[in-house]
Amino acid sequence: MVGFLIIFLVVTSAIFAEQISGYDPNLMDGMSASMSPSTDHLMGTDQLGRDIFSRVLYGGRNSVLIGVTASFLGNLIGTVLGAIAGYLGGKLDTLFIRLSELFMTFPQLVLVLIFVTFLGQGVSNVIIIFAITGWMTTFRLVRSEFLSLREEAFVEADRAFGFSKKRIIFRHLLPNTMSPIVVAFTINIAIYIIAEAGLSYLGLGVPVTTPTWGNLLAAAQAPVVVEQYWWLWVFPATAIIVFVTGVNFIGDGLRDVLDPRQRTRGSKSTFKSALKEKLIGTRERNS
Amino acid sequence: MIPMAFSISAIIFFASRLSPIDPLNSLISPDAAADPTNLAILKERLGFNDPIIVQYFNWLMEMFKGNFGYSIQSGQPISEILALRMPATLELVLAALIISTTLALLIGLIAGANRGGLTDKTSRALAAVGISVPDFFIGLALLNVLAYRLSWFPTGQRISPGQETFLDRLPHLVLPVATLSIAMLAVLIRYTRNSVLDTINRDFVKTARSKGLPEWKVMWSHVFRNSLGPVMVLIAFRLPLLVGGAVLVEAVFQWPGIGDTIVEAVTVSDYPVIMVVSLLIAVAILFASFLVDIAKSILDPRVRLGATTE
Repeated sequence: MVGFLIIFLVVTSAIFAEQISGYDPNLMDGMSASMSPSTDHLMGTDQLGRDIFSRVLYGGRNSVLIGVTASFLGNLIGTVLGAIAGYLGGKLDTLFIRLSELFMTFPQLVLVLIFVTFLGQGVSNVIIIFAITGWMTTFRLVRSEFLSLREEAFVEADRAFGFSKKRIIFRHLLPNTMSPIVVAFTINIAIYIIAEAGLSYLGLGVPVTTPTWGNLLAAAQAPVVVEQYWWLWVFPATAIIVFVTGVNFIGDGLRDVLDPRQRTRGSKSTFKSALKEKLIGTRERNS
Repeated sequence: MIPMAFSISAIIFFASRLSPIDPLNSLISPDAAADPTNLAILKERLGFNDPIIVQYFNWLMEMFKGNFGYSIQSGQPISEILALRMPATLELVLAALIISTTLALLIGLIAGANRGGLTDKTSRALAAVGISVPDFFIGLALLNVLAYRLSWFPTGQRISPGQETFLDRLPHLVLPVATLSIAMLAVLIRYTRNSVLDTINRDFVKTARSKGLPEWKVMWSHVFRNSLGPVMVLIAFRLPLLVGGAVLVEAVFQWPGIGDTIVEAVTVSDYPVIMVVSLLIAVAILFASFLVDIAKSILDPRVRLGATTE
C-alpha cells in the first residue's frame, strides 16, 4: 500500500541519514550560506551554511522518534486507565471519566502550552507532555470495549476458574482490544508530529540544538525567511505532510482491516469501492 | 456544567500554587525584600497566611468581580490585556468560522448529494491531504505568494500606522482569515458529507421522494435539516476559539490576539495570565457544550433537556 511505501521510504532515509545526506547537519559553512537548492545542496542551505537536505533527514529521525514514543506512552496510559475503568467500574471509573473530560475540554495545543509553562522545554518533556495530553481517545476506546467484553461468556468462565482480576484484564481481555489500540497508536503519531511542528515553530518545543522538522520550520518565524529563503521551510513542511499523510493512510487501512464495525456507515460498499476508500482515506480528526 | 467549572478553577488555582515561581518577588523591590519583616508584612496583607481554601475562594470572588490579577511580565492588569487583545481574536475567529462553516456546509451537501461526483472526489482528496498539512504552513505559503511576491496583501499585524477605520484594516484580515478557514474546512466538509450520506439513505427521504417532491426540496428541507445535528456539534466546539484564539495562525501573521498572548505568556512563564486565559477557555468550552444541548433539542424534538433516558 501507498502508506507503507511512504513510511518505509521516510524511515529508512532517516535511519541511513549519514550515508544519504553527504553533509553533517550541524556543519556551518560560511562560504555556502543561504544558497538556493542546487545539485550540490539538494534543498539549499540556511543562513549559517548548514545543508537543509541533511537537516531534514536528521530532523525526521527526531520528529518520528518523538511522535512514536509519545504516542506509545499516551496509548499506554490510556490503555491501562481504560482497562481498569472499564473492568472494575464504580467510583474509579467515574473519576477517570471526569478526568478525561477535563483534559478534553481544552484545545490540545493550549493544554500542551499550559504544561510547558510548568514543566519547561526539552525533548523528554515534550514527549511526556504529549503523552499526558493525548491519552483520552485511547482511554475511551479501551473503556467502552472492556465494558462490552466483560459481559462475554469467556470472561465469566475466567471468573468461575477463579483467575485474578489482573490476569483476566491483561491476559484475556487486553488481547481482544488490541486492534482499536493499534489504530489509535498510528493516528496519534500523525497528530503528535504535527503538534511537535507547531510547538517548535512557536519556539516552545524541542531546543534548537536538536534538529526536528518543527525546529527547521521555526526558521520561518523571521519575515525575511518567509519572503526570500522559501526552501528553508517548504522542504521540512513537505516532509511533514508526506509522512503524516502516509501514517494516516496506514491508520485508515488498519482500521478497515482490523475493525470492520467502524467502516463508513450507510455505504453498501463493494470490494472495489472499499479498496478505493482505503487508498483515498477517510479519517475523522476530532479537533 | 457548574461543578465542572468549579473543579477546573480549583485545579488551575492549586496548580499555580505548586509553581516554583514566587509571585511576591515581582511585587516587592529587592531592597525591601532583604528585610524579612517586610516580606512577612506583605504576606500577611495579601492573605498568603490564610488557609489555602480561604485563599481559593477569595481568588474566585475577585474573578467574579472582574479582577483577574496582574501580569508578572508587564504589571498590567490582566483584564486590560484581555480588553486589548480580545477584539482582534474575535474579529479573526468569527470571520473564519462564518466563512468556513458556510463553505463547508455548501460543499459537503453537494458532495454528499452527488456521491462519487466531481465535487465529492475533489473535496475528499483535498480533505485527506488537508488533514495532514500543519495549519501554519498554509499561512506561510499564502504569505510568501500573496503578500511578498504579489504584494496584494499586507504581510502581517492588524493595523498599519495611520490607518484606523475598519476598511483600512480589511486587507490585514484577509490572509489570516483565509488560513484559518482553510484549516477548518477539511474536517468540516468531510463531516458534513458523511452526515448527509447518512441521512440520504433513510426511509423518510425515500418517502419524500416518492411523494413526488422536487429534488431540491427533498435535499433542502429533509436531508439538509436532518444532517445538521452532528455538524452543529462540531461547529459549537469551535466556538471556544473565539476566546482562546488560534495560536499558530496568530503567530504566523503576528496577529495581536489572545493566542499571541498565550504564547508570550508561556515564553516568559507569566503564569497569572495563563491561569486566567485557560480558565476563560474552559468556561467558554463548558458554555459551548451547553449550547450544543440546546441546539440539539431545537433541531431534534426527541431530545429533551434533563430527560433521564439516554
